[in-house]
Amino acid sequence: MADNKKETVKETVETTGHQWDDDEGYPLKEYNNPLPRWWLYTFYATIVWSVIYWILYPAWPLVNDYTRGVLGWSQYSQLEEELAEAREMQKVWDDKLATLSLEQISNDNTLLQYAISGGKAVFGDNCAPCHGSGGVGSHAKGFPALVDDDWLFGGTLADIEESVQNGRTGTMPAHEEKYDGALNAQQVDVLTDYVLSLSGLGHDAQKAVAGKELFEGEAACVVCHGDSGKGSLKDVAFGDPIDRSVGAPDLTDAIWLYGGDRTTIRTSIAKGRTGKMPAWGEGFSGFGRKLDPLSIKEVTLYVHSLGGGR
Amino acid sequence: MKHATIEKNAALMSILVLIMVAIGGLVEIVPLFFIESTIETVQGIRPYTPLELKGRDLYIREGCYNCHSQMIRPFRDEVERYGHYSLAAESKYDHPFQWGSKRTGPDLARVGGKYSSLWHQEHMRRPRNVVPESVMPDYPWLEENALDYDDIADRMTAMSRIGVPYSEEMIKNAIADLKAQATPDSDTDGLNTRYGNKVPLDDFDGQPKRITELDAMVAYLQMLGTLVDFSSYQAQAR
Amino acid sequence: MDGASATQQETYDYDVVRKFTIAAVIYGLVGFLIGDLLAWQLTYPDLNFSSPYLSFGRIRPLHTSAVIFAFGGSVMFATSYYVVQRTCKARLFSDALSKFTFWGWNLVVVAVVVTYPLGLTQAKEYAEPIWPIDVLVTLVWVAYFINFVGTLAKRKEPHIYVANWFYLAFIITVAMLHIVNNLQIPVNWTDSYSVFSGVQDAMIQWWYAHNAVGFFLTAGFLGLMYYFVPKQAERPVYSYRLSIVHFWAIIFLYIWAGPHHLHYTALPDWASTLGATFSIMLLLPSWGGMINGIMTLSGAWHKLRTDPILRFLVISLSFYGMSTFEGPMMSIKSVNALSHYTDWTVGHVHSGALGWVAMVSFGAIYHLVPRLWNTSIHSVGLINLHFWLSTIGIVLYIAAMWISGIMQGLMWRAYDQYGNLTYSFAETVEAMHPYYFVRSVGGVLFILGSLVMIYNLTKTIRKGHPV
Repeated sequence: MADNKKETVKETVETTGHQWDDDEGYPLKEYNNPLPRWWLYTFYATIVWSVIYWILYPAWPLVNDYTRGVLGWSQYSQLEEELAEAREMQKVWDDKLATLSLEQISNDNTLLQYAISGGKAVFGDNCAPCHGSGGVGSHAKGFPALVDDDWLFGGTLADIEESVQNGRTGTMPAHEEKYDGALNAQQVDVLTDYVLSLSGLGHDAQKAVAGKELFEGEAACVVCHGDSGKGSLKDVAFGDPIDRSVGAPDLTDAIWLYGGDRTTIRTSIAKGRTGKMPAWGEGFSGFGRKLDPLSIKEVTLYVHSLGGGR
Repeated sequence: MKHATIEKNAALMSILVLIMVAIGGLVEIVPLFFIESTIETVQGIRPYTPLELKGRDLYIREGCYNCHSQMIRPFRDEVERYGHYSLAAESKYDHPFQWGSKRTGPDLARVGGKYSSLWHQEHMRRPRNVVPESVMPDYPWLEENALDYDDIADRMTAMSRIGVPYSEEMIKNAIADLKAQATPDSDTDGLNTRYGNKVPLDDFDGQPKRITELDAMVAYLQMLGTLVDFSSYQAQAR
Repeated sequence: MDGASATQQETYDYDVVRKFTIAAVIYGLVGFLIGDLLAWQLTYPDLNFSSPYLSFGRIRPLHTSAVIFAFGGSVMFATSYYVVQRTCKARLFSDALSKFTFWGWNLVVVAVVVTYPLGLTQAKEYAEPIWPIDVLVTLVWVAYFINFVGTLAKRKEPHIYVANWFYLAFIITVAMLHIVNNLQIPVNWTDSYSVFSGVQDAMIQWWYAHNAVGFFLTAGFLGLMYYFVPKQAERPVYSYRLSIVHFWAIIFLYIWAGPHHLHYTALPDWASTLGATFSIMLLLPSWGGMINGIMTLSGAWHKLRTDPILRFLVISLSFYGMSTFEGPMMSIKSVNALSHYTDWTVGHVHSGALGWVAMVSFGAIYHLVPRLWNTSIHSVGLINLHFWLSTIGIVLYIAAMWISGIMQGLMWRAYDQYGNLTYSFAETVEAMHPYYFVRSVGGVLFILGSLVMIYNLTKTIRKGHPV
């Protein structure tokens, strides 16, 4: 790309002598000004900068390898350094967090503040999509709020940790015949009235009596929801405690997971419900685990701190 | 050669231009096919199941890549927020790749298993029901449209021609495998033999008696980033 | 003049230029409207109307294709056909090829408008058209190349003018990029899969997409600039020698810059380094065009006071200089670590696409229309109004995206005093809302400007008659 050197640089620059498009308007001509000095030298500087960069960093492909650069840098070594620095900074707290129990941590205010900060970060991206920002719950049905003291699987530190670690499944079976249940439509109707009556909502008293009979008898609702419908945590079934992992909600407290109007309650009974809390630790459904043990501890303490922890 | 020579010869100029613009691409692209360390050696990478492949096609149809990346960068904040940084091996069966270029929504490289299928159903129907801050469009048609899977074998055959290891048996059983994955309590032995026992199984769309587009979409989302066991992964010099 | 008599036997084909000019103006408006709808959708997501056909993911590619290929492409066809004829003193090589390129290109646009909302896409950014459309694009492009080079071959001037070097490089390179990036294996008549996968597919895609910017929106429009700026300013081009050096440097270096879209991904470090360094080396060659354009005006600065067309051309060069500076900065790995995946990139693209491409095109169109219809412009005042509406719109747009982009990048990596992430992703989305609003308003101003232009041009064309 030899430059056309015919023109010499003069005080008054002339055009190259070529001319185009001269049949109408101003004809196109070209001066032959020299390359601006600052432009040329800055261009050279960027080339020098690049060459230095190539010497220092991985740059040019070879047959089955590439030039590694004298710094030995890679984007993954940069990450290792970043993480090492972060771990170093957090080590004072993390070491304690790893060895102390959840109760011990919650008694150490400084450590607790640290854990809550970490738990909040974990919660924001992983848990909030279902449970809402700050655990306030969701507009959608089936995702419990975590700020109240109404728990399905228990609000102790150990309960919460178990929920996060291994996930939870709350299964309400389908009861109406057309959904492969055992009850006919009428029976589902009267059960609905009984459930409405439990939290003092508008219901047909006569039907509710029939519903109560089913609740305690043929439909066997008491097995999970308890003799007085207060749920698997608080109630007893035929006098015996109920397995906490069933997660059957309290039907008397007017807090509804799927909705408390007649239609929704009827649907819950007829078609059943399946609520799933994913496992974030050992029980994670892919390979490995989604959250490391420290993060699980932190998020447990954070959720416990939201207001409803027991 | 004087520039005037080039300037007076359109053919010569065309050829020189072509040579000049070809060099950069050749140097940057060709070695990626030959330098072995470009794609890591890892356990667990498998082709998409038929249902996941249909889901991926829908992900492409809806243009999800316009707002979601599938590429966790090796930064502290990204690995803390999303999980282990993405490996080249994890997208080696992605024709085309789905790394994305903009995060209007969060990265999805490891979204698999994070949320229940019930959440995905709500979220696809109306994102702001579950995430009030979201600016994602509603996708109500996914749960309405029955999944058209008649051409699944053709799709897998096409993929196998460009290097995705779908066996004849996988292609032959495509429709059976597709149905099995979306039907809980069905016989999934064949599916698990062919694609491994970590394949997510669920009634992904919450409609037990139908297989809809939502089944495929959620099945795809539920497997993203779950193939590699990072508890035993050692970073490889690349 | 001698030149005029030389062309007496043969008249220029202005018919195809007129057609492409009208197409450019219409497609521009359509592209801007879709773009602004998208901006409002991000501000108020209910504007997706729960409809598959208006859903952001399906119509965002419609916006990018409409502005780059329908609007930008038509501007390229119109101006290159005009410029190559006038600077070669020769009619276009083949009237049949001219017609084929016009109707073929418009068929491509129509096919794109129909297929994207139906969800038919290859899912490669800026290369979304399905494979049958790709084949049609290839045919049109080959016809374009033959028509353009054929015209150069029958030129009556000894030298090929610099504008044509850039047009030629644009045509050749886009052909190469288009063919390689669209290698697909078809499944049926609408669907196909890229033959490449994962990391190689990513590299090829961004080699393509970056150079769609580099050659479609930069080299091609520099060709435009090299004709319309000196012609409108009535001054000789500043430096022939700078033209030569920056032409060859820009086309050689630009191609390498693609990997800067893939910094800190699973693309190997070496490729990323090449992308960053070549982007830096590209800065001065890119600026060569700006220097040649701006310095051409030296001695004619007074004309800016009275000539709003010149004002469009000058501000476009300023935006060009700004975004070709910003680009290399954003390709430095540590800057890119912050900017990538955020609105900063979107802002950068629009300072180039609106500030440079659209503004220089508007200048060229205002220059062209009176000449093509043998009349004078209806209203100089309205050109001025268009200028200010567009400029203010662009500034609002870019400023909003700078703030939201940098803010989002910083929020993603913000840590509290314990070293834990401060914000959830959802919180960063919420923080973007006011800036998305400002951006949408900027878009409205830009569209208003376009409407003013359409009114002005319609009035102009009505009183003129085709030459």
